[in-house]
Amino acid sequence: MSDAFLSIKDVNKTFGSVHAVDGVSLDIHENEFFALLGASGSGKTTLLRMLAGFEDLSGGDVVLEGASIAALPPNRRPVNLMFQSYALFPHMTVAQNIAYGLEMDRLPRAEITSRVAEILEVIQLGHLAKRKPDQLSGGQKQRVALARALVKRPKVLLLDEPLGALDKKLRSEMQLELKRLQHEFGITFIVVTHDQEEALVMADRIAIMRDGGLLQVGTPQDIYEAPETRFAADFIGVMNFLPVTAGDQGFVARDGSVILADRVNGTGGAIAAVRPERLVLGDRGQNTLRGTVTNTAYHGLDLLLHITTRLSDTPVIARMTAEMADHLRPEMGQEITLSWSAKDTHIFPA
Amino acid sequence: MPLAESGPPMADRNTFRLMLLILGVVFAFLYIPISVLVGLSFNEGGLPTAWTGFSTKWYGALLENDDILKAAGNTLIVAVFSTLLSTILGTLLAVGVEIRRRNGKWLETVIFAPMIIPDIVLAIALLSMFSLMGVKMGLHTIIVSHVVFNLAFVCAVVRARLKSFDWSIVEASADLGGSTLNTLRRVVIPVLMPAIIAGALLAFTLSVDEFIIAFFTAGAGRSSITLPMQIFAMIRFGVTPEINALATLVMSVSVVALALSQRLNKGGLPGQ
Ligand SMILES: Nc1ncnc2c1ncn2[C@@H]1O[C@H](COP(=O)(O)OP(=O)(O)OP(=O)(O)O)[C@@H](O)[C@H]1O
Ligand SMILES: [Mg+2]
Repeated sequence: MSDAFLSIKDVNKTFGSVHAVDGVSLDIHENEFFALLGASGSGKTTLLRMLAGFEDLSGGDVVLEGASIAALPPNRRPVNLMFQSYALFPHMTVAQNIAYGLEMDRLPRAEITSRVAEILEVIQLGHLAKRKPDQLSGGQKQRVALARALVKRPKVLLLDEPLGALDKKLRSEMQLELKRLQHEFGITFIVVTHDQEEALVMADRIAIMRDGGLLQVGTPQDIYEAPETRFAADFIGVMNFLPVTAGDQGFVARDGSVILADRVNGTGGAIAAVRPERLVLGDRGQNTLRGTVTNTAYHGLDLLLHITTRLSDTPVIARMTAEMADHLRPEMGQEITLSWSAKDTHIFPA
Repeated sequence: MPLAESGPPMADRNTFRLMLLILGVVFAFLYIPISVLVGLSFNEGGLPTAWTGFSTKWYGALLENDDILKAAGNTLIVAVFSTLLSTILGTLLAVGVEIRRRNGKWLETVIFAPMIIPDIVLAIALLSMFSLMGVKMGLHTIIVSHVVFNLAFVCAVVRARLKSFDWSIVEASADLGGSTLNTLRRVVIPVLMPAIIAGALLAFTLSVDEFIIAFFTAGAGRSSITLPMQIFAMIRFGVTPEINALATLVMSVSVVALALSQRLNKGGLPGQ
């Protein structure tokens, strides 16, 4: 696709013998909220730093609105990075921190003042404008760092684990806040995170990174419902894995039963997978399993049952709504039958 | 007293008293001569043998001595210019070295050598070099010579601060559109400012009472004599009350500058 807003073309980065980013190609649309998701060391920060201009490309190209930006130094790219450590200027007040980028653009004083005031309003920190960074809480620092990058109205805003340092409650608040700001400012966001839940909540599209490469790119629904690899299936959400052998009759589970599956990935399928919420009580689907309830975990909205079966070494997890749980009152040690349909069954190679 | 409580467990009461006594003796050894000097500078009679009453007349006498005033002026010129130059160069050097840290340890050793090389060696080396180059000597050669060792001190103080410097703010500045020069001017230098001022005050102090190097690089004649050189010249005719007063003044300047420097740079002096 040549008309992409931001086009990352076969980008590579090596540090000595380490392939930090390995042949990544990605097209990002205008005004998209894009999440880079991956385990620690998968190359997310390195890719982001290459987009910001802090790391030279070992190979490939980065094209923004039809023009290559790969050779531009960071201060000439219409791209801003919000640092994982926030990197606020300690000797400047909140307002001065935010104004800095506009001053570098040599905007008229009056415009700088009004834009700083406006963004302070947006992030609701007007009353702290005269504070220094060391007098702010973690969440406030995070907002200032965000405002400092946003106020320049970059074409692309890069955010490296923007919510990493916040506690859980503040995190979920800020996830929505980030989405709102992205929408309001109409800026393309690329957010790095290793929190899959966060990526699912915020992003329009997600790319899963592993060992410097892209494993899968798609909408949260795509990736959740149709993972293409065992790694992606495991990384996003909770998944039950049942070892199978591919035989003439299909995929045979450990107890000899045949598992019907619509979503077969690759060849030589060796493991079947199904999400906990796709398991229903009773013998009502195409695939069935029997087991003993060995644990129950109450999560408020729903109840997770851990069921020991002969199909796998680890317990199978089934999710029940609170309503269902009230009705059935599952007990420890209880024998239980679960079933699920072929359309919800994935098969991955070993 | 907290001192007693924080002593090592085996230090019982008597050993602790002994330690206090030793401490007292050491301090007496260090500060009695200086106290005598300061005291005598206020002695009306001027003789070290008898106290005849408090007076500031020797300080007044200093103001009427043209040689001393001239020397004080020279010292001030040398101190100000060598401080300015060494502060600018030393700061840039410290930042540059920190950025290119991977060049290894030897660079550090080369830079800090002038702090360790004996003054007399440095003095002879500078004198030889100026003679070899055929430079006419005067205040300017003293200034250059003072820059040589002051540079190392400023660099050391600033580097100590750079150890805890958060380099991500430099990247943030570039990311927000700052050129290298703007980043240096608006971010790096302001953040390092306390250390830079501390380094400058230290350089000033060292320059004000430096004798050997100035003596060797001042050239012939009296025109570029500095205060320590003037004191040295006067003292050949015996210690006069004027010298006591002058020495007290020089010391006060040094102590004040050093105290300010310490206060600004809580990390302390290099090597501490
Ligand atoms: N400057 C560097 N020199 C050498 N190796 C590096 C450098 N920066 C990153 N790496 C290596 O590149 C790989 C990817 O690192 P990167 O920081 O991009 O990972 P990440 O996905 O951001 O991880 P995390 O979630 O822990 O932040 C790692 O193996 C890392 O050790
Ligand atoms: Mg990272």
